[in-house]
Amino acid sequence: MPQSPEYMSTGFNAWDPSVFSLIVFALLAAGLVTALLTLSVVLTRRRSEGEKGRPYECGVIPSGSARPSYPAPFWLVAVFFLLFDVEAVYVVSWAVSFTRLTWASWGQITFFIGVLMLGLFWVWRKGGLEWGMTRKR
Amino acid sequence: MGHDAQAIDRAVRAAMKGDADAAKTLPGRAGLGDMVLNWCQANSLWPLFFGLSCCFVEQATVFTGVYDIARFGAEVLRGSPRQADLLVVSGTVFKKAAPMVKRVYEQMPRPKWVISMGSCANTGGMYDVYSVVQGVDQIIPVDVYVTGCPPRPEALLHGLITLQDMIRQKNRPLRPVLNLEGGHLGGRDDILVPGETKDRDTRGPGMAGIPARGTSVTPPLFAGSRSDDMWTPPAPKFPFTPVHESLREALAARFGELLAWHESPVDMPTVTVPVERVVEVLDFCKREAPIRFERLEDITAVDETARKVRPDHDFTAIYTLTSLSSIEYLRIRVPVGESLELPSVTAVWPSANWYECEMWDMFGIRFAGHPGLRRLIMPEEWQGHPLRKGDPQRATEMAPYLAEDARREQPEDAVSLLEKAHAAPPARREFVLNIGPHHYSTHGLVRFILELYGEEIVDMTTDIGYHHRGVEKIAEHQSWHQFIPYTDRLDYLSGAANNLTYLLAVEKLCGVAVPDRAQCVRVMLAEFYRLSNHLLWLGTMVQDLGMITPVFHTFREREQILDIMEAITGARLHPAWLRIGGLAMDLPDGWDKLVRDFVTIFPKRVEGYRRMITGNPIVRARVKGIGRLSLADAVDHGISGANLRACGSTRDLRKVAPYSGYEQYDFDIPTREDGDCLARFEVRFEEMVQSNRIIAQCLEWMPSGRFMADDYRYCIPDKRDTLRDIESLIHHFINATRGPKVPAGEAYAATEAPRGEQGFYVVSDGGNMPYRLHMRSPGYASVQALPLMTIGHTIADFIAIMGSLDYIAPDLDR
Repeated sequence: MPQSPEYMSTGFNAWDPSVFSLIVFALLAAGLVTALLTLSVVLTRRRSEGEKGRPYECGVIPSGSARPSYPAPFWLVAVFFLLFDVEAVYVVSWAVSFTRLTWASWGQITFFIGVLMLGLFWVWRKGGLEWGMTRKR
Repeated sequence: MGHDAQAIDRAVRAAMKGDADAAKTLPGRAGLGDMVLNWCQANSLWPLFFGLSCCFVEQATVFTGVYDIARFGAEVLRGSPRQADLLVVSGTVFKKAAPMVKRVYEQMPRPKWVISMGSCANTGGMYDVYSVVQGVDQIIPVDVYVTGCPPRPEALLHGLITLQDMIRQKNRPLRPVLNLEGGHLGGRDDILVPGETKDRDTRGPGMAGIPARGTSVTPPLFAGSRSDDMWTPPAPKFPFTPVHESLREALAARFGELLAWHESPVDMPTVTVPVERVVEVLDFCKREAPIRFERLEDITAVDETARKVRPDHDFTAIYTLTSLSSIEYLRIRVPVGESLELPSVTAVWPSANWYECEMWDMFGIRFAGHPGLRRLIMPEEWQGHPLRKGDPQRATEMAPYLAEDARREQPEDAVSLLEKAHAAPPARREFVLNIGPHHYSTHGLVRFILELYGEEIVDMTTDIGYHHRGVEKIAEHQSWHQFIPYTDRLDYLSGAANNLTYLLAVEKLCGVAVPDRAQCVRVMLAEFYRLSNHLLWLGTMVQDLGMITPVFHTFREREQILDIMEAITGARLHPAWLRIGGLAMDLPDGWDKLVRDFVTIFPKRVEGYRRMITGNPIVRARVKGIGRLSLADAVDHGISGANLRACGSTRDLRKVAPYSGYEQYDFDIPTREDGDCLARFEVRFEEMVQSNRIIAQCLEWMPSGRFMADDYRYCIPDKRDTLRDIESLIHHFINATRGPKVPAGEAYAATEAPRGEQGFYVVSDGGNMPYRLHMRSPGYASVQALPLMTIGHTIADFIAIMGSLDYIAPDLDR
């Protein structure tokens, strides 16, 4: 029987052994994290040691607050990259099974990409991609 | 110095004070839990990169492939105290930097250990001078001392093994980890107290109460110096040419009788100018004179109060000008009057800014019209002006520097430094960030204060002096020969290349002719150190850009070079192997094989680096078009060396003003036009290939003959000669003990050191020690020009620009 993407999605159920092992793995991971956090809370010596509470700034006393309101364009660009990067998962998986797909799936992915493009244009228009030395004083 | 012994001491002291729980502070017997914890701690030491000077480079060397620090559980040294459990204080601790050492120690998590690396960190070492702390153990507790100057990388590894043993044997960490009473969780917690547990007497312990001798032969007293009874020929005279005569006429036509020419200068035309006209004369020299002096080489001062022949003014300011178009120098001497004030020349040369700050800082000479006169090198609260003859020379003559001082004398606030750097501060401050003094990519202790809007640098200023070892003051109290080892450490990656600059200045004053063989060996050593410097620069610069691998590879060739240096001179970083008039000894047997092996493999290795680094599109993107500097700005700011050649200049002292016989070698001067990081990068890359060519020629042409001049008046004679004739024996005795008497006069010599034009200005009073010595360091000018290159770039670009400049802290701060 040909393995179509539709079959793969219907064959994915909670009682399948592979999913069961995934659940066991997740529980183990959560348990380990809980155990480590608990141990570190219980065992750590919580003693204030003066200088240790101060932010480390290359050995000198920092000036002003470490939480100023200041623009972070690089961070924004990074977030947008992550957002628009997720689409690659869909587009690539769609592209590798292209020959087996119907016109309906073509329409769906086109709609999906269109929505993403609209989002990208919106971000662009809002100035979210303007990252550079624009400010001059 | 065991933990058990200290713990017992503490318990006994506590019991004497009547503490009933005293016995609980004793470390108990090790249980299984202790052993497991100790095993974990001992085998995963994470050392913190706290480098202050030469030792720092050897510390960095242990994490390369050759020495491999990974065996201690940490693959790399840590950049932040939060990540580390072992602080390795490597090198000289300065009074300006000490508060940071203390803070970094206190910001580390427990358990924490400290290794003090190198004689400077242990006791101040050979730097017993006003700015240096006599041992880091006066401000933080030390577990292991690693001795040497600098210790070899293997010595640090041995120190780490010693620490591992201490952890296994002395630590009882289980009970403290479980929040129970007793046990012992790593590291000492006592610091040494001068006079009680630590001896600061330079003569060693047991000399307390016995007055120090010898002060009568040092300035300002000089009484009883036997150098006065010696005769020397006068210093050689500068050969004036028609070019100099035309300059003289032009200046006379413009300023008339105001100028007094020095009749017999040693090294360059010298003219005395009254205070009121100095800016005018300098401006004339820069823009209108028949020889244009485009660059301000240096400004410094001489305190005249202890001169044997005392002039009627207390200070003389010395301006040295360089002509790039006609390869000439000009010295302008300005007697400073009672008011101790000079007009600022920052309007003529922007680079004068720091030089004038330094004069204020070191001599207390003010500058009218300076945009922001401040203490540049000494800490803000420093009393006095250290280079004055009356100020204390030795730190051991001053009160000890203690933990309380480190807590009180904090480095200045970043915002206040930004404000001082500008005449008119902006209305609102953006985010202010310190990069340095203790930062992974500052290449030593330097503090850059950036004002950021987002990731963009909108303003910046630099605070230096965290590495000020006061060598200029030290020089005034060492005989001419004794000072040679200090020059090694001025730029600790260039070793013998620094010796050479100093000796050229002294030899100029003495008129010593150096034999060909010695010249050739000097050139070979200088080029080897250029290679060693460039290899380290290459590895660390691309490491700053996030490319970790090359540093492991470049240190491989660097180690090979240091092995050759060790075979020839006996030392790795600091050979102190050149002498007035020649070398300490002849080349050893078999040197040629080592050098030949190197010169044959090196071009292939460099080609490999070229493919690995410049073939990498990310590295290119990080450096291309970043930190642009125009040639005009570079000249105005006094930038030299590879940084200048990256802006399009072909100036290289080895070609334009050859010294030590460089005119005999066939080599090219690589240049670039762009003046950006990529250009600086490529120029240095090609310089390595050219240095290799020069070394290959030294190997082929090495002349036979003497390694030391045969006029023994100023030289330390060849030992074999001293066994044959009494004259040589007498000279050996005099020159090796109180040192030669150098004719009175002043001389300046500059060489093309690995980082640029390094100059030494020496003043002799006709004694056995320099009356004044000043170093013109290439990094000083480059770092001062950083705002030109960085403002408008991002913070990530800043790291690339810093790396591409190739400055080094001791060269900057001296």
